[in-house]
Amino acid sequence: MIGRLRAVVGGIAALVAVDGVAQGVEATHDMSQHHGMMMNADATALPRDCEQIAAEHAFTIYAGAEYAAGFPGNIFGYSEHELRVEPCSRVTVTFVNDDQVRHQWMVHGLPRYLYPGGMFHLEANGGESQTGSLIVPSDSRTYLVHCDLTQHMEKGMKAQLVVGRGDGDLWAVPGISGNFNRDAYSPRASLMVLTLLAVAVATGAGVGFSMRRR
Amino acid sequence: MRNWIVLALLIVAAIAWPPQWYPRAWRAEIATWLGPSAYDALPSTLPADAIDAEIACPESPAGLRAAQIIDGVTIDASPTCESDDPNAVAAFVRGTNNVSAETLAASGLTSDAVEKGRDLDGDGDPDEIHIRLEIVELNGGSPELPEPATQYAIAPGIQPGLWAFAPKYVGMATENFESLRARRQLRLPSPAIRVEQGDTIRVTLENGHYMPHTVHLHGVDHPFVDVTGEGNDGTPIASELPVMPGAARTYEVQPREAGTAFYHCHVQPHVHVMMGLQGLFIVEENRPNNWLQTLNVGAGLVRARSEAVREAYDREYDLHYMDIDSDLNDRVQRFNDPRLITASMHRDYDITDATTDFFLLNGRSFPYTFRDSLVVVAPDERVKLRVVNGGMDSVGLHTHGHRVTVTHRDGIEVDAASQELRDVVTLDSAQRLDLLLDTTDDGLHSYGPGVWLFHDHGYRAITTDGIGPGGHISAIVYEDYLSDDGWPMTQGVSFAPYFSAEYYRKTVPVWRSYAPDLFGDPGRDYSLFVRLIVLAACLSAIAALSVTSRRRQS
Repeated sequence: MIGRLRAVVGGIAALVAVDGVAQGVEATHDMSQHHGMMMNADATALPRDCEQIAAEHAFTIYAGAEYAAGFPGNIFGYSEHELRVEPCSRVTVTFVNDDQVRHQWMVHGLPRYLYPGGMFHLEANGGESQTGSLIVPSDSRTYLVHCDLTQHMEKGMKAQLVVGRGDGDLWAVPGISGNFNRDAYSPRASLMVLTLLAVAVATGAGVGFSMRRR
Repeated sequence: MRNWIVLALLIVAAIAWPPQWYPRAWRAEIATWLGPSAYDALPSTLPADAIDAEIACPESPAGLRAAQIIDGVTIDASPTCESDDPNAVAAFVRGTNNVSAETLAASGLTSDAVEKGRDLDGDGDPDEIHIRLEIVELNGGSPELPEPATQYAIAPGIQPGLWAFAPKYVGMATENFESLRARRQLRLPSPAIRVEQGDTIRVTLENGHYMPHTVHLHGVDHPFVDVTGEGNDGTPIASELPVMPGAARTYEVQPREAGTAFYHCHVQPHVHVMMGLQGLFIVEENRPNNWLQTLNVGAGLVRARSEAVREAYDREYDLHYMDIDSDLNDRVQRFNDPRLITASMHRDYDITDATTDFFLLNGRSFPYTFRDSLVVVAPDERVKLRVVNGGMDSVGLHTHGHRVTVTHRDGIEVDAASQELRDVVTLDSAQRLDLLLDTTDDGLHSYGPGVWLFHDHGYRAITTDGIGPGGHISAIVYEDYLSDDGWPMTQGVSFAPYFSAEYYRKTVPVWRSYAPDLFGDPGRDYSLFVRLIVLAACLSAIAALSVTSRRRQS
């Protein structure tokens, strides 16, 4: 497990280094140089099962608290909770963070020989955006997309990337699928008990009355 | 025929009647006729159940514990089993914007986590400090998982819902995609913050949590409003509206006085502070070339000390005490909908009826405190302990083998004539004490080398939900008593039961490791149970027979 962790850290190291160079590390006193980061966002290498790039898809995904509107009980959200793409297509995502806090657009389950940890990762600081692209494999699969900051996925930042026909919806994707552990929203217990009693008495009386008439 | 059957049943019932149910006087009378009953051995001790004990000191990644120099930052050795990441220490000292790209990447921090700017007074250290804090929820609920998300155990098998301020780390909150365990940097307590007297400090709360929060700087010199006129005290009922989910606010301070202070969320503080949104805030004296370790993640040993502390002390430790009512902390796991969570935590939960269950030192309870919160010392040293009580119970900190001197209370130096040696020091809620631990073996300050416990003498607090040993227990360990892997050479009982979830689930006899037969659980005696079954069967049969006979007669 530690070895795997090191591999991930190594991947981060390589990309942060690239990111740092691109943004100019010499500006040591510039306090606003950090925009976010990309990881494994290289879209030139084809998956083994793809002969060529079958199609190009481009999406702009907005993230933030305002995109939870319309989903009661959610606090954070994406502008899109489902992306449908063709097998072997190149997917370019521009991730725009409209909040003042950090968010991520992270895809899991990709081929590990292309994506260390099987992960494609866009991370943007508050008010920033990041663009990256990935080439999806040929098989029909549904990939998890989420923000892994604690409780962001649980409170609404979850989406699915459907390649081809996909292989079934994920749980708890806002607007797509239900919560496996759905909270209880029933009326007060006293109201339910009294109503059930009234229904039982009325039904019993009705049945008894009708049998007597016969 | 029926009467004979009833008679037989009555006789069987009389025999089955439990002897212990007869009046004591009757039993004594019968005993005088028959003498004592035959020897019937008491149930023998059950064989002990297997326990699934964790390794007390898991192997730590190579090179983390040694003394080293990274990017010009001298980092002291961390002799305990688990240590802070020296790359993160270097990044916090140099600033995440100044440290080398390799060190930053190894630390996992973002480049804006702790930014350090200009040297305003020209004394060789940066005086513009910008700290960005996020809020993490550990062991929170999930709309799909059967167990908590982003897990952090305070003791074997114990994962209460917790909140903490945290520096910004790139990437996943868990160890990896396959694991539900929080990455090692995400933990309690919130990091101890160290700044220099007179520095221009900005603390930005980037509230990525699903509830409103603030930062209140308790005991740190700060103006009520900042230069723009916006509230700066972090109190929703007096100075400003809270920071909403997805929003950020920057607090500005330029502390004129040095001392050990505190910071915490001030939104519904009886809930939010108790959930873990609290940390030490230390203002160090201004010195030339004073490069501070701005954050001490998980508190504990300070691996890059300030110049003033280096002058007067050989080592420095941050000790953060907390207590937890599990009835509050579990509420983030009972619901996923923030509307239900907030109603449950802020309206249904009644802290005036609360009882504390878990007791944390630097975010963990015994035995996990032995992994990273030992106070390691050598003879003839001066050790500085900065202690805060963030809980609701008071802490009576007792040091075995040593007497400590309270040098500062709530950040203010105690008059030299009033400083006295104590073996119990008391901290009420939110109080801070700076302690001098002098390891001179003179029978007064120290009794000599060893593994000497230090613990809260409040008896509740040396348990974990009533199971001892647990809670606020750690030890002062002399280096000669420390193994190469950082585990103390204790001479008492085996720690294996304490490293099992079963022990704190209350299913393991407490003296199991050294007296399993004498004090193990006895087997069960089913004789009373069998007698009652026979009795019930007989009486039911008699009742049934009498009812059916009446019906026939009628």
